[in-house]
Amino acid sequence: MYELKTLLPQFDIKLPNCMYELRNVSISAGAAPCPEAHKIQCNGAAKSESNNSKSVTCALDLEILGKQIQHLLKNEDTAAVLQRQEKVLKQLEELKAQLAQIREGLNIKVCGKSVQHTTACHNGGLKEVPLHDVVVNGHPNFIPYALLALKNAWRNLYTIDVKTFTHSTLADIGPAAREFEANLAKVAVNEELPKINVTLIWKNCEHTEMISSPTMYVPIYGEVNIIRYLGRVGPVEYRYENSPLCNEIDAVLDICYQLLRCTTHKSQVAMVRLLDKRLNQQQYFGGSEMSVADIGVYSSLIRMPAITDKDLTPALLAWRKRAKLITEI
Amino acid sequence: MVEDKENTANAGQEPVSKKAAKKQAKAAKKAELKAGNAAAAAADEAAGDNAADHAAARYGLSEMIQSKDKRSEREFVLLPELNAQIGKGLFWVRGRVHTSRAKGKQCFLILRQQSSTVQCILAVGDIISKEMVKFAGNIPKESIIDIQAKAVAVPNKIESCTEQSLELFVEQIFVISQAKAQLPLQIEDASRPENADDAEGLNIRVNQDTRLDNRVLDLRTPANQAIFRLEAGVCRLFRDILSDKGFTEIHTPKIISAASEGGANVFTVSYFKDSAYLAQSPQLYKQMAIAADFDKVYTVGAVFRAEDSNTHRHLTEFVGLDLEMAFKYHYHEVLHTIGNTFTAIFKGLRDKYSREIEAVGQQYKVEPFKFLEPPLILNFADGVAMLREAGIETGDEEDLSTPNEKLLGRLVKAKYDTDFYILDKFPLAIRPFYTMPDPNNPMYSNSYDMFMRGEEILSGAQRIHVPEYLIERAKHHGIDTTKIAAYIESFRYGCPPHAGGGIGMERVVMLYLGLDNIRKTSMFPRDPKRLTP
Repeated sequence: MYELKTLLPQFDIKLPNCMYELRNVSISAGAAPCPEAHKIQCNGAAKSESNNSKSVTCALDLEILGKQIQHLLKNEDTAAVLQRQEKVLKQLEELKAQLAQIREGLNIKVCGKSVQHTTACHNGGLKEVPLHDVVVNGHPNFIPYALLALKNAWRNLYTIDVKTFTHSTLADIGPAAREFEANLAKVAVNEELPKINVTLIWKNCEHTEMISSPTMYVPIYGEVNIIRYLGRVGPVEYRYENSPLCNEIDAVLDICYQLLRCTTHKSQVAMVRLLDKRLNQQQYFGGSEMSVADIGVYSSLIRMPAITDKDLTPALLAWRKRAKLITEI
Repeated sequence: MVEDKENTANAGQEPVSKKAAKKQAKAAKKAELKAGNAAAAAADEAAGDNAADHAAARYGLSEMIQSKDKRSEREFVLLPELNAQIGKGLFWVRGRVHTSRAKGKQCFLILRQQSSTVQCILAVGDIISKEMVKFAGNIPKESIIDIQAKAVAVPNKIESCTEQSLELFVEQIFVISQAKAQLPLQIEDASRPENADDAEGLNIRVNQDTRLDNRVLDLRTPANQAIFRLEAGVCRLFRDILSDKGFTEIHTPKIISAASEGGANVFTVSYFKDSAYLAQSPQLYKQMAIAADFDKVYTVGAVFRAEDSNTHRHLTEFVGLDLEMAFKYHYHEVLHTIGNTFTAIFKGLRDKYSREIEAVGQQYKVEPFKFLEPPLILNFADGVAMLREAGIETGDEEDLSTPNEKLLGRLVKAKYDTDFYILDKFPLAIRPFYTMPDPNNPMYSNSYDMFMRGEEILSGAQRIHVPEYLIERAKHHGIDTTKIAAYIESFRYGCPPHAGGGIGMERVVMLYLGLDNIRKTSMFPRDPKRLTP
């Protein structure tokens, strides 16, 4: 790799000495002896510590730093740099104009939509356009609690605006679904956060399904898969595809999928055991952070009234308590 | 051919050939037999007269009913209630002869009452004579008869009737009103299910014009019976639901002095020395009722449109269900009221008229009507976005063309699985001058359309209730304000903000049932080409 020329070399940076010194990971991992100058650059703390042992100030001495920068700016050396910078800026300007011309030729208007999600470059450059308006069809007997769990968990990160409807194939949705609707309505819509509109339709259908755009995509079936989808378009903290825990989270969600399809109590308990194994005394599934896997397990367990506290292990019970604080169901 | 000619030519001259002789002998024998039969019949008849047809008093043409006798001793039973009569003795039934065929000593007669049918049997025996069976077999279809009979359960279901578990053993039969022997259309043909895939089944249909020309017969089919009962249901539900919501029913004049709405053409009628118009919308009068403090009003009545359009969904006279409502601050108060009224009507139809819906479904195969509760409300801009996503190019301020309207209906159905939805915030440019503009975006207006199965059924808006602003908007549209002075004048004495809309009853029924022509849901339709019956 190139070594960059330092623009502002040799500062007397006085670092507060109230901090621990960390070992430089990159250097020790590479195990390559670095030249002294380089070391100064990337490990300023170490240097300042040695140079600056006499002063015991607790803050950066900005005054000195400012003076040094002023002094440097007067130097002729920086004038050349400034010139170059000017030139680069000019070139950039030209490039921009060129692009605008091309765009005009292709008749593309500049998109007014400002919500550009970082998902665009995930998945090896495959372009993903998050849809902000989706329909979820659910049966009142299989309430998609995950929506509420996500809504609560993402309260400060992302808004899921759920509107509920009853389809004509159902005469009555029952008390559980009504309570669910009321709980959904309790979470206030924060217009400042990025938002996804969900239309939840109670319908006499076999599976929970999600329809995003009838002309472009096929429906997504199963609550677990809807969680996966929302995990993909939702806040960055909950996107798991690039995390090292990706496989683990997927595995847990798959267990949830099977759990929801278990008909006998025995098989359900077997699935719960599998979950316990996955949890393995961790704070949350897959580690110490809440993830979509926890949402999936949590909402699946609510949908399984046959699984009582007796069937859960102490670890799962403790996890459930932790998760409840976040999902608030 | 040539030989034949020769034969006939020869017949006159030569003595009869062998073949001809045989023919003649046969004919003679036939004549003899015929004479014999006639004699026998005559003898029979004579015998009947003399030796008395032992059932003579049990059948015949009834004298014209002129309310001479009360005959209150006769107990009549309706067909759907027959099951309770099994094994209980004799009772009376009045109905129409659906079909009747005598076969030897038996006669099978299917009796119809509206949409219900039951099989009746007359068999020669102690009670019934041969003559009676013959008489029953010859009653023309569609005649009205009174029968006295007893109900008997049958082991095998009778597939051809609606009362499948029993049949009636007739003991007396009287014709009350006889139908012409030749019918312009057969009820069976008119009620045959329309399934195009069935290549094997009989494919005899009655075309629409024959049906409408003989509407009295056509209306007797089970599907038509159901359609008009359901239509009555729509009206009743509309009235009941709105009355419950605190609306008052008003009646508006149909003869008016000036065209109430711009755009559509009006019928002119002579009015003494002057001429008048037939109202094409009760809107002005609804609004005047609002200005007169009625708060919430609706009206059910005829509406006339002199549009020369021969389509499946236009009539020149139809029944309008209109409502208008004052609101406090936002026209969505009204929008939700109208939307919820529709949902309630649909629910009422689903729950109370399932029999009728099923009966219509047996003749016309259509998917049941689907809807959401509360109704789905989309913005016009969302609708345009959905169309664009499907690859349709349409402008932001452009009205939806009929194909686009249908396509949007299909897109909404695919995504939300609902046949009913509301499109809100139409562009101001495509709405009438009295529509209130949107306060946030001058391009849009506070107006809405409602759709069923992708066809518009209601168009409504918040109306401008401030006269000065109304004049300004009218001028902007290039409308002569002197012509609408009366309309503007009605707002001068203070008027609450209000909004409303109107629907065509026939169109709602047509679309609810998924029928293909509005003439099917108008009892005696009026269109540019039809004034009778």
